[in-house]
Amino acid sequence: MNVRFDRYGSIAFALVGAFFIAESQHISTSAYGSQVGPSMFPFGLGILLVLLSLRLFYETFQAKYRAEGQAVEKLLYKRFLLMLAATVLYVLLLEPIGYVIATALFLYVTFLVMGSKSQWRSAVVSLLFSVGVYVVYVQLLKGTLPGFPAWLGV
Amino acid sequence: MGTLQYLADGFQIAFQWHNLVYAFIGVLIGTAVGVLPGIGPMSGVALLMPVTASLTAGLPPEMAAASALILLAGVYYGAMYGGSTTSILLNTPGESSSVVTTLDGYQLAKQGRAGAALSIAAIGSFVAGIVALVALVFLADPLSDLALQFGPAEYFSLMLLGLCAVSGLGGKSMTKALMMTVLGLLLATIGIDNVSGVARFTYDIPDLYQGLEFLTIAVGLFALGEVFKTILENDHSSQEIIKVERILPTKKDLKDSAAPIVRGSLLGFFIGVLPGAGATLASFFSYIMEKKWSKHPERFGKGEIAGVAGPESANNAASGGAMIPLLTLGIPGSGTTAILMGALLMYNVQPGPLLFSDHPQIAWGLIASMFIGNLMLLALNMPLVKVFAKIIETPPQYLLPMIIAISVFGVYAVQISTFDLILLVICGILGYYLNKNDFPLAPLVLGLVLGPMIENNMRRALTTSNGDFSIFFTKPLSAVFLLCALAWLVVPLVLKRRGKQVVINEEA
Repeated sequence: MNVRFDRYGSIAFALVGAFFIAESQHISTSAYGSQVGPSMFPFGLGILLVLLSLRLFYETFQAKYRAEGQAVEKLLYKRFLLMLAATVLYVLLLEPIGYVIATALFLYVTFLVMGSKSQWRSAVVSLLFSVGVYVVYVQLLKGTLPGFPAWLGV
Repeated sequence: MGTLQYLADGFQIAFQWHNLVYAFIGVLIGTAVGVLPGIGPMSGVALLMPVTASLTAGLPPEMAAASALILLAGVYYGAMYGGSTTSILLNTPGESSSVVTTLDGYQLAKQGRAGAALSIAAIGSFVAGIVALVALVFLADPLSDLALQFGPAEYFSLMLLGLCAVSGLGGKSMTKALMMTVLGLLLATIGIDNVSGVARFTYDIPDLYQGLEFLTIAVGLFALGEVFKTILENDHSSQEIIKVERILPTKKDLKDSAAPIVRGSLLGFFIGVLPGAGATLASFFSYIMEKKWSKHPERFGKGEIAGVAGPESANNAASGGAMIPLLTLGIPGSGTTAILMGALLMYNVQPGPLLFSDHPQIAWGLIASMFIGNLMLLALNMPLVKVFAKIIETPPQYLLPMIIAISVFGVYAVQISTFDLILLVICGILGYYLNKNDFPLAPLVLGLVLGPMIENNMRRALTTSNGDFSIFFTKPLSAVFLLCALAWLVVPLVLKRRGKQVVINEEA
């Protein structure tokens, strides 16, 4: 349990709730007759979320909560950030450079980041995976994946 | 047509060769998912949902839905079988419902009886699966008949009951579980309103008009969240794996575990039917019960076969029991069944009482395939247990990036949009941090799935009553559901205040 996360988290959730409350007022009304329009459900839920967040915020100040403290863990932030960056790049480049190239690059890099010792093996596995998925899905199952970029002329 | 006739038709569907293949793939992957620590049934099913969607793309819609569900359900109960393997051989549960199996299973393995423990677990799971299925067959018709009489008010209250049940048992803090439920419901309101056709919270972003895609969020929260957790915390253990020698249990083992298996199956089934209480609770209760009823309670924890047989049967029976509210009422009682329901909705099939009359081939095909799947699992698990034990040794440096790649592939194949991929990554990060800080994810997913339906039913009920909220209390059935919902929230609170330990349901 992490008091800090819960405290700031409850504030964030309260803001989300407040956002939904405020924005639900701007939802246009419709001709569908009855008092219960499209804004009522999100409005009510927003209020509930704010109330629950306040309750959590209050709970974090209770003695019991503080006593539990937090165990210091060693987290591998460097590895995580590298992996996250690789994933984000992969996701953004998927359409511009195509599935096979993006996936092979992503897997090759992340295999090495995660501690694969053999560059050779990483390259083979990543190529097999990306080409295999593309062939099976696009050629056999007729699915849609971004192909090779036009400037490659394949 | 009688129930048996329907069941026979179901078997015809399940015996079609492609459905046999899907069932086999499902249980095979399910067992692997159960064996691999870090991927539970929820992330396994979420991860495979888009993959099955693309596999079945060529089939006519109803057949596709049946095949996809056969595969996904196979993953679900296959994971229950596989979870025991790591508990017994490694002392690390593959998923939360096998936690109690470690107590006696690992001790048995240390005494050289790993094979017996594994096969008893497999036999127990098989018996339990069949018990749950037989009960499902006979309960399906009466329950869906009952549910057909529900009006919108009853449905609203029933869904509220489901949400409260999952939140009440959903995690260490009920406040957090409720917050997650409400957040799930709120996120479900994004998009075009089903009733009035008005756009809500879309801000002219075209990707938002359809609402946030359930599939993307589920895969992100569960599959990616788990991967990020493993990357950050590096919790793959490099323990010695105990070798499996003799596989078949002795006659004495069989005799000792027969009664616990039957008891575990029945108990697990009833716990599984209850919303909110799932396989984890079932296995805990079964262990406690076996210990109480045993003639040698002192042997528990030191390698008693009943301590493996009972809980392993119970968690499998619970996963079968959990299908009942999903199929007959259309109310998922747990995170995994919520994801299964999301899969059904993706195929435009509405689970609930009409499922059995509108789409009998899906409902009965699934039930029949679960019989076959359980048989396959028994056949797979007894001789191949040694092979599955090897899966644990899959090097994580290859496995983790591949899970990310499969998530991305799956989401893109179904959604074909970069927007959803970005949402996927965001959900992965959120999933990790929320779960780490005891914000349970199952209620969020449940809220997201039930959101549109609960809102529809509420508004329909309120429209018939001219906006008068008392309609939910004056209809007797609806009032009963609401009372149960309240009890589900209040009773754990009261117990906690009295200083009693409340067993909570973490996943599955």
